[in-house]
Amino acid sequence: MTSTTSVGSVPSVTAAVEAIDLQRTFRTTSGIIRRTRKDVEAVRGVTFAIEPGELFGLLGPNGAGKTTTIKMLITLLLPTGGSARVLGRDVVTDVREVRRRIGYVFGGDRGLYERLSARDNLRYFSELYGVPPREQGPRIAELLELVGLTGRDRERVEGYSRGMRQRLHIARGLLHDPEVLFLDEPSIGIDPVGARELRATIAQLSEQGKTVLLTTHYMFEADELCDRIAVIRQGEIVAEGTPAQLKGRVGGGRVLEIETYGVPDDVLVAVGDVAGVRSVAVEERGQQQVLILQCESDTEVTHPVLARLNGIRVGRVDAREPTLEDAYVELVSGA
Amino acid sequence: MTSVRVFFVGGLMSYRAMFGWLNPWILIPSLIVSPICQILLFAYIGRSAGVRDDEFYVIGNALNYAAIPCLFAMSSTIEGERQGHTLGIVLTTPARRIPLFLGRALPVIVNGWGVAVVGVVAGVLLLDAHIPGSAWPALLLVVLVTSASCTGLGLAMGAVVLRVREGATFGNVVFCVLLVFCGVNVALEDLPGWMAAVGTWLPLTHGIEAGRLLADGSTLGGVGGLVFREIGVGALYTAAGLALLGYFERDSRRRATLDRV
Amino acid sequence: MRQVLHQQAVCYWLQLRVLSTSPFEGFLAVLFPLMFATAALLVYSVNGDPVAMQYAGLGAAIMGMWTCQGVVASSLLTRERWAGTLELLVAAPTPLSRILVPITMAMSTIGLYCVVATMLWQSWVFDLRLEIESWPLFVLSVLMAAVTLAQVGFFLSVTAVRYRTSWALGAALEYPGWLLCGFLIPVDLLPVWIQPLSWAIPTTWAMDAIRSAADGGSPWGSLAVCAATGAVYAVLAAYLGKRLVDSARRNASLALT
Repeated sequence: MTSTTSVGSVPSVTAAVEAIDLQRTFRTTSGIIRRTRKDVEAVRGVTFAIEPGELFGLLGPNGAGKTTTIKMLITLLLPTGGSARVLGRDVVTDVREVRRRIGYVFGGDRGLYERLSARDNLRYFSELYGVPPREQGPRIAELLELVGLTGRDRERVEGYSRGMRQRLHIARGLLHDPEVLFLDEPSIGIDPVGARELRATIAQLSEQGKTVLLTTHYMFEADELCDRIAVIRQGEIVAEGTPAQLKGRVGGGRVLEIETYGVPDDVLVAVGDVAGVRSVAVEERGQQQVLILQCESDTEVTHPVLARLNGIRVGRVDAREPTLEDAYVELVSGA
Repeated sequence: MTSVRVFFVGGLMSYRAMFGWLNPWILIPSLIVSPICQILLFAYIGRSAGVRDDEFYVIGNALNYAAIPCLFAMSSTIEGERQGHTLGIVLTTPARRIPLFLGRALPVIVNGWGVAVVGVVAGVLLLDAHIPGSAWPALLLVVLVTSASCTGLGLAMGAVVLRVREGATFGNVVFCVLLVFCGVNVALEDLPGWMAAVGTWLPLTHGIEAGRLLADGSTLGGVGGLVFREIGVGALYTAAGLALLGYFERDSRRRATLDRV
Repeated sequence: MRQVLHQQAVCYWLQLRVLSTSPFEGFLAVLFPLMFATAALLVYSVNGDPVAMQYAGLGAAIMGMWTCQGVVASSLLTRERWAGTLELLVAAPTPLSRILVPITMAMSTIGLYCVVATMLWQSWVFDLRLEIESWPLFVLSVLMAAVTLAQVGFFLSVTAVRYRTSWALGAALEYPGWLLCGFLIPVDLLPVWIQPLSWAIPTTWAMDAIRSAADGGSPWGSLAVCAATGAVYAVLAAYLGKRLVDSARRNASLALT
């Protein structure tokens, strides 16, 4: 395998998408008379590489920098530092070549012409993406079939549900048969059934050999779909690996879940101090609080913890294996 | 005392919340540049056609354009109440309805008054229009009355828009109707009979006529009849608007649709 | 090349569909100037001078074209932003100019519709039939007005999009356009210092050509200047559009969403 550095626009033979120390700072000015400038570092040096055919997940909470990273990769934003290549082409200098080979899909209701039908929307975008006229008809029909919108394609988009819009977005992103697809939180706000169908479609794309970069803040989605995941927090990647590897980072441990009814803060601290307890998180579930303790697997913690909770009403106590969610929570909360 | 509080505070709060027009980038083009341009447009048309004098068009168009805030601000106040899910509360609140709605109408009326006055002053400065100093107090009063009656139309329009949906389009259509039928650029006597007849049942018409007479030297007493007719027309639309709102409220209580109205 | 033309045609057609089914950009863009034309003709009809009525009638027929372009084009990119499609347009491999030009041509088409509607309206309401000496030259001049207006619209859309409130700025352009372009008021009736501004707008020249065609004179001189002025706007727009997109990429200033 040759190295990933290359000269000019000679395509590199390895990664499909490469980000090398990508940075993006936003300057905001506020005030009219006394202008105050503030620099917001949205992305602070993100590096990763996606192999061809891989389904790569960028996982992180809102505001972590996922969307900014994607926008740099799809050439909508210029990085303020670092570089990125898509299919060997630089995103800053080789803009048209990059755009012709990538598809961009984002979640939400917007991004379509409401008063046009699905078919007309696809026709419009296929013109913008240079799909040869003769290929448009069959391509559109094929994509509508793929996303399950055949039969409703002549209706105006304004009548579509969010799930249908999302599927139409995916069809739109695939019109010019891109090699790389960027999906920015595609399942946001979609009902569980619709989201499941969407994930099936995404998995299918990956099986067809397309490279996919998926951003999401749903851990189970990343877990289910992605070959590899990078966890991003406050503009930096804090972990990278396969879902199994990430679970392994908090693995070798166990998770203790204790239902309680109102735990004062000092007791929480005391619980955290118990030997073998790595971290304590509290989740509010209605009237209850659930303490989620990440523990070493070889230390007996249940008794000492329950002893510290003496006098406080305790419900169920559960010990289980850590999930990707636990890994994620630990990674993004910086614990 | 409560009525007065309801009147002022309620009105101001509702206005500020919904009326994002305080952005100078919207305010200046829409409410200062445009009315002045409309006045200039018709004043020059008048000169080109050799019909009437500049003052005629200044008063007509200044008052006509004041309809824009009166119609749109009032209807967006109502729409704002609906979107904030407070319309149901406002309509069913134990506070007396009249001060409640008048309170919401007051900032709108003042807005319309302001736009008209700016228009008249600009017209006087930029064109060949002369309004005697003694006429100004009465003129300002007439403008206020006209603005109020136009706001009444705005209330009725706002009620209709709750059901009709395309409020901005509808508002512009109403504005056009006012432009053509209310004697804004053509005196009622020069209009075909049926158009003049429609005009007498619309706000603006009598106010514009009164304003022109005042500018020509008439006294307030001389235009008293017109002023009362203007108030009457305004009251008519206000009553219609309140009745319509009341009907929608009862209807939606039956069908649980007020918030979706 | 064929692909470019195909793209232009399809984008034009679909955007025309979007505009014409919109109450605001379709119906109202025709009705509003029509009502103002009516108001203006009512003023002219007070004296009833037939020459003046012809003058006003001709101008009234064309003034709607300005509304369809000036107002609608300024808010074009803002509307695309609200719809969430602006980002997609900028992210596409096709240059922004090639995307915007068909849209402004679609707006001009609505403007042409407005011309026909106004002429029919005038003949019905005011019994005013326009006397046109040379119909071919008249149609040519009107089409030239449409094309150059599309170029002005292209210019407006890229300059106005920087401002989030461009829809308000565009709306404020409507009346000045009617004042300056010689639709209802001869340009030489305006104050001397503002006349150069009138002549800097291609539509004024187009209107002049239209009147010449109606009178049986020669519109070619005016048409030539009209085309030249329009071309200037187009070139400026292409340049500004490119700068706009570059600036947006660098400074995230376009607020594409």
